[in-house]
Amino acid sequence: MPDWREIATRRLTPLALEAKRQEEIIAELANHLEDLYEDLVRQGKSEVEAVQFALSTVADWDELRREIQLAADEEAIMNYRMNYRAKALWLPGICTSALAALLLRLLQIPSAPAPHVFWPWQDIALVLYWRWLLFLPLIGALGAYWSRRAGGKLLERVLAASLYPLGLTCVLALSFCVALVFPHRVSLSIRLVGFAVYVLGWSITPCFLLLLGALPFLKRDAGESRPAAASH
Amino acid sequence: MKPLMVSIGPQIKRGSAELAILSVLAEGPLHGYQIAKSIEHQTRGLLRFNLASLYPLLYRMEKRGWVKGTWEDPPGGRRRRYYRLAAAGRRHLVPLREEWAQLFRALNRLAEATHA
Repeated sequence: MPDWREIATRRLTPLALEAKRQEEIIAELANHLEDLYEDLVRQGKSEVEAVQFALSTVADWDELRREIQLAADEEAIMNYRMNYRAKALWLPGICTSALAALLLRLLQIPSAPAPHVFWPWQDIALVLYWRWLLFLPLIGALGAYWSRRAGGKLLERVLAASLYPLGLTCVLALSFCVALVFPHRVSLSIRLVGFAVYVLGWSITPCFLLLLGALPFLKRDAGESRPAAASH
Repeated sequence: MKPLMVSIGPQIKRGSAELAILSVLAEGPLHGYQIAKSIEHQTRGLLRFNLASLYPLLYRMEKRGWVKGTWEDPPGGRRRRYYRLAAAGRRHLVPLREEWAQLFRALNRLAEATHA
């Protein structure tokens, strides 16, 4: 009788699982093959025919290995995906956002006012901190580079570089929606223009500058696989 | 229509396979090979599981807490992993049976209407 455990080990390993779990799975599948083989021999098949038939029940052993790995270790795969998002998106995105916010805060110190430009239009004044804006391409480059180092794909790199203005846009939009609920002496049209000017000054312009800096790190690496092929 | 077929096909296949496994385990603990044989026997050979179709599904069901596998050493026999229906699996089986019964009733009605 063939050594079914040896056959299963040869065809199914290595599985990216803990050694104990891998051993259990191999033992279980070897048991199944052995049961099938014994049944076939009892039914009158020759040993060779029984072995061939038992092995033919698996059309693609590589596919079975992948399926087992996915099924047996869904938790590990989920953890991997969560870690991947944390390393390639949230960590660089939050750190570069904090850096951008800190820099802005430093430039806003009243005792050492940074040069800035007012945008007077109707009742709306937008302060543009030129010195801060000049730093943004560097910060964007840092976010995209960090994300790329952590294996981030294009979307993660873009988001890691531009998380700060994206977050700010959400806050501005939420504030605007909340403000709409309450009666206000300023007309809706002026408030809408104000919102648009703020979005332009605090979201679109910084986002553009951050992504400008990130641009060299958004290109696909030579050895990088396409996203569809690297879904797991 | 093609994308719809692609998306529904595997779901139906997996759903029916889960129902089959949970149903045979509702009668008592079985090891993998016994599960496959029991399904084949009870469906008179209409449903057949092989090693490649059974174990990935069993491991997924175990991860979801529907079945529980434990190694047992029967006297004079090989050490085997027996699967039992867990409480979550029992809870899942009741609506699953009803859903499939409804689906078959609907298909029957459709088939009768087509013949009429």
